[in-house]
Amino acid sequence: MFRWLAPWFYAATLLVARAARVDFNRDIRPVLSDTCFRCHGPDAGSRKAGLRLDQREAALTPLKSGSTAIVAGDPERSALIQRLQTTDPEEVMPPPDVHKPLTTAQVTLFRQWITEGAEYAAHWAFIPPSRPAIPTPPSGEVAAANPIDAFIRAQQAVHGLRPSPEADRSTLIRRWTLDLTGLPPTPEEVRAFVEDRGPQAAERVVDRLLASPRFGERMASDWLDVARFADSNGYQVDRDRELWAWRDWVIAAFNRNQPFDAFTVEQIAGDLLPQPTLEQRVATGFHRNHMINEEGGVIPEEFLAEYCADRVETTATVWLGLTFNCARCHDHKYDPVSQRDFYALLAFFHNVPEQGVGDYGANIRRSTPPFLKLASLDDEARIAGLQATLANGRASLTNLDAALAGDLLEWEHRGVPTNPAPAAEVLAALARTRDQRTPDDQQKILEFRRSVSPERVALVRRIKEIESAINAADLAIPVTLVMAEMEKPRPTFILRRGAYDQPGEAVSAATPEALPGFPADVPLNRLGLARWLVSPGHPLTARVTVNRFWQSFFGHGLVRTPGDFGSQGEWPTHPALLDWLATEFVDSGWDVKALVRRMVLSATYRQDSRTTPEALAADPENRWLARGARFRLSAEAIRDQALALGGLMAGRVGGPSVKPYHPPGLYEQVVAGSSANTYEQDHGESLYRRTLYTYWKRSVPNPSLLMFDMPFRETCTVRRSRTTTPLQALNLLNDPTYVEAARALAQRILREGGETAQARLSAGFRWVTARSPKPAELAVLLSGLRRTETSFRKNPSGAAEILSVGESRFDAGLDPAELAAWTLVASTLLNLDETVTRE
Amino acid sequence: MNTERTIQEGLTRRQFLRGSTAGVGLAALATLLGAGSQRMLGGSPVPAHRLPRARRVIWLTQAGAPSQLDLFDHKPGLKTRFREELPDSIRRGQRLTGMTSGQKNFPVAPSPFAFRQHGPGGTWFSELLPHTASVADELCVIRSLHTEAINHDPAMTLLQTGSQVAGRPSLGSWLSYGLGSVNANLPAFVVLISRPSGPTNAQPLHERMWGAGFLPSVHQGVRFSPGRDPVLFLSNPTGVTDDRRRGMLDDLQALNAIKHAEWKDPEIETRIAQYELAYRMQAAVPELADLSGEPKSTFDLYGPESTKPGSFAANCILARRLAERDVRFIQLYHRGWDQHDSLPSGIRHQCHDTDQASAALVKDLRQRGLLDDTLVIWGGEFGRTVFSQGTLSETNFGRDHHPRCYSVWMAGGGIRGGITHGETDDFSYNVVRDPVHIHDLNATLLHCLGMDHERLTFRHQGRDFRLTDIHGNVVKELLA
Repeated sequence: MFRWLAPWFYAATLLVARAARVDFNRDIRPVLSDTCFRCHGPDAGSRKAGLRLDQREAALTPLKSGSTAIVAGDPERSALIQRLQTTDPEEVMPPPDVHKPLTTAQVTLFRQWITEGAEYAAHWAFIPPSRPAIPTPPSGEVAAANPIDAFIRAQQAVHGLRPSPEADRSTLIRRWTLDLTGLPPTPEEVRAFVEDRGPQAAERVVDRLLASPRFGERMASDWLDVARFADSNGYQVDRDRELWAWRDWVIAAFNRNQPFDAFTVEQIAGDLLPQPTLEQRVATGFHRNHMINEEGGVIPEEFLAEYCADRVETTATVWLGLTFNCARCHDHKYDPVSQRDFYALLAFFHNVPEQGVGDYGANIRRSTPPFLKLASLDDEARIAGLQATLANGRASLTNLDAALAGDLLEWEHRGVPTNPAPAAEVLAALARTRDQRTPDDQQKILEFRRSVSPERVALVRRIKEIESAINAADLAIPVTLVMAEMEKPRPTFILRRGAYDQPGEAVSAATPEALPGFPADVPLNRLGLARWLVSPGHPLTARVTVNRFWQSFFGHGLVRTPGDFGSQGEWPTHPALLDWLATEFVDSGWDVKALVRRMVLSATYRQDSRTTPEALAADPENRWLARGARFRLSAEAIRDQALALGGLMAGRVGGPSVKPYHPPGLYEQVVAGSSANTYEQDHGESLYRRTLYTYWKRSVPNPSLLMFDMPFRETCTVRRSRTTTPLQALNLLNDPTYVEAARALAQRILREGGETAQARLSAGFRWVTARSPKPAELAVLLSGLRRTETSFRKNPSGAAEILSVGESRFDAGLDPAELAAWTLVASTLLNLDETVTRE
Repeated sequence: MNTERTIQEGLTRRQFLRGSTAGVGLAALATLLGAGSQRMLGGSPVPAHRLPRARRVIWLTQAGAPSQLDLFDHKPGLKTRFREELPDSIRRGQRLTGMTSGQKNFPVAPSPFAFRQHGPGGTWFSELLPHTASVADELCVIRSLHTEAINHDPAMTLLQTGSQVAGRPSLGSWLSYGLGSVNANLPAFVVLISRPSGPTNAQPLHERMWGAGFLPSVHQGVRFSPGRDPVLFLSNPTGVTDDRRRGMLDDLQALNAIKHAEWKDPEIETRIAQYELAYRMQAAVPELADLSGEPKSTFDLYGPESTKPGSFAANCILARRLAERDVRFIQLYHRGWDQHDSLPSGIRHQCHDTDQASAALVKDLRQRGLLDDTLVIWGGEFGRTVFSQGTLSETNFGRDHHPRCYSVWMAGGGIRGGITHGETDDFSYNVVRDPVHIHDLNATLLHCLGMDHERLTFRHQGRDFRLTDIHGNVVKELLA
């Protein structure tokens, strides 16, 4: 669960504020932004009374009405204060119908701020981060080895908090393994770490996990949300598309630790790099992940505008942490982003040789160009062979036709065949003497001869067969959607009110005015834009990126609105730490694994996640990180964990998406009457692939994953919600995926868990949670096992039924009643709160 | 805003403790339950802004867009204009879909169906809706609804979420978020989907239409389907009897309680509560979905289709049963109204599927005293054109999408019955009096539920989002 700014947070802010000077960015801007900017902010179109409060000079200038909003140093003469304090409903600001009255404490802060000179400061996120000094501990305390801990402890001290001790080793290795690979640790890995008393034991574990190919899969999951990756086009027709090669590129990029700046450049503009490699062009699939409409009546221009707007909004959210979508129809109400900025950014993405509407009549591999064909060597050899045969056939046909034309008269003299009978016009031509015949007559006779030549008919049929074989072989080659650039760019206009058919002033490509200028040495195209995003000194990209990585490992970002670093976003809990991490990230050459390594090896990360009612009351949302983060696993990790614990998981990396178990009837209810209206489940290995390979249809996404908060993947998502619902409980209890996994886990327990029930229960519990059960826990499990086993012995048919769930065979060498009882025990283990939680 | 709430109706001790044998687990659990602070999801009730007239909504969504010209919006003057070109003064160069923008002619296709006035307010209905006409005194027919979208997906997305662009929360999820759940055993927002019985062009739907958008996903609509599992994964696996399930859940809960005793994370309490709710749903949902106990009179009322599971009529009975159980938002979808060609036969099939059951629902709610606080709405995502798409004959034609005006009806829960609101021009092409935008409809709906559409907000990307965006006015004339 998440909550928006809790009242105590404001209270804490105010307490801190009163002790010192008012900090405009921390104390004043959020209130101005939330309550005043709508009518007195950057959007000139909706500005009231000519008053602008987002810029100091304007706010201090006398208005037409004669009053002055802010008189620096003199709150009494500042109309702003009068209007905030009056009880007259006609006069009071903000107007009552806005439903955002200011508190007395807030008004007091405004007074203090004006008294102190009403100083403004640029919004923090627009000022490039400078590397802050690492805080030194109070005298007598040892300095933290990891700078992260130094920053965190300094903030804890302000709030009177102390860090928690390090978590148990078993908890820690499970936390690391789930966080870095999305899978649970094996019993051997747990034992090795628990018993490793040598120095650098933690570093050894983390380095092993960072080097695992599972790391790339785990990190890709987050990036697929960001990139709105799916296996279908979305919108009403929602046919399939192919972009899995792009997904595999992402996995590989994380695994080879591609620096984040190159990761950015290749995805936004890999096609524009000099002599781009195939991989670099595949990477540009990032901006083809948006939805594409194939509905019959669609006006292409309308949806072309949608796709380009989606690219702008996604780019702004992912790299800039700004809500550009607000500026699609008008200037941004809170941040210095004009409507012109929106369309100037859009101009970078407007030159793709694409159609506004997909070609519903075409094969899905051809319906939404531009795309790349991913032909294997086999494919190429096969097609080359077919083409050679085709060339031969065509040459034979040319020769044959020449021969047929050459002795036409002789043929005629030999007697024209009558079956099939020539058409009337052919007979007419034949009836004429040679001298009377026109060239057209000659042609008709020749065509007739060709049509009755058995040799030619066979040859033509053969050529057609080869052509269709080539076509089929060509269509069998997977494709991947990519970006490309038209030779002549499309003109871009500011769209009035965002409407595609209301073009206003023309604009050319440019980056937003409030952000650093475009470097002189880069081209004014997507490649330049990409280089600008990762240019040193960019105020946003590195901050926004390290914040998202922080969120991945601590549950929340240092800025808890990871998609909004603007003035309506949350103030960072640890601004100095954020800046330190951002500058360190850039200085390291955008080294993702080094950043992640530093985060997960910090003492802050390694804290115990137990809490107490007192600690909860002091910091309910764990903003000051005086305890470890504890949160539910992602949809992917929950399923992958169950597959891994049952020993079912197929570990192959990459490839086309797969269709595991799925409840029947879901497509039939909502999908149009076409061939795609049933879910055709795969079999064999595809049932057990890692969850990030699960086929994702936007109109009917996999329901189990949706229940565990997978986003729809229709638009960019930088933070998932994290809910706990009864549907999740039903899913984990009853979905064949989990019933089968429980049975597989039960088989493992019976085969490898020891001889006695206690030993087996301990082993199973340990495999699932990485720790040994307490006696009380063992007692619950043991009584449950006895009760269930008795029940299945009384009614063995129930045992056979539960064991037959899923397509993998159960171990017939085991006693069915016993295995069924253990299956329910294993299901209990898989449903534990602890199991679906990363502690 | 706090998205958690406490339920009055928590877990019962007996359910928990029965069959559990672990001492420590028991003690921990007892403490947990004794605290009386089980946290529940499923709603974050915003205090009502005014006294609500409606407690719940049943939205009978007619997907594909029913033709207002052949059902509600009577245009007798068109009879004499058969095959005449639609005047430019009416069309005014307004955009058309890609399906008719290439047509050379736009010949007027008068409705072949007879219209008659019904009820005290003299409301017009076509002969296709005899049953609906019989409850005319309860209905408020809006003939001036309009939208901007001209294709199904964006139009349905706008109707359901207040925006053509995907990603906003649906109406039902807004209500789940704003009003919370009043039934401890059922979700606050239930979706029922039927397929047309006749051969039609059934436009696809999309999970997004009942999605939670940027609201916590717990507010997403829950699809109820015909068959063994009305709710996904509801039934225990074969071989797991209720006794075995209950025993296993007792063990699970005891283990979770031990965990909570040491870890103190309130999320553990939430999970314990949700597993109990899941267990209660396993009993409550099949009981709800089982129509076998309904008397013959019910099926007589809802018509012959109502005996077929998954039909619109059967879903209407289910909707009434859900309303009786105080589910907040019940959304039915019936597809098949997209008559680009062969409209006269296609619309007959659709009305056969929906007319009697829709009217029966109103009557049934009324006779059970539920209509006063249940708001019922019937309609689609846009209207259809007065001109024929494709070939026009005396007996056959098609109609393209038309966003500029269309008709819906509302009944019950604070709505004035027996009235007609708004007026279109002689061609049912443009609104000429009392336009109602979808935002206005939604504002009015929220008003009936005691909510101010300007104050039901959720902060996302730095902005307080509303169902009605920055638009919407309550249409006071519709209120009782």
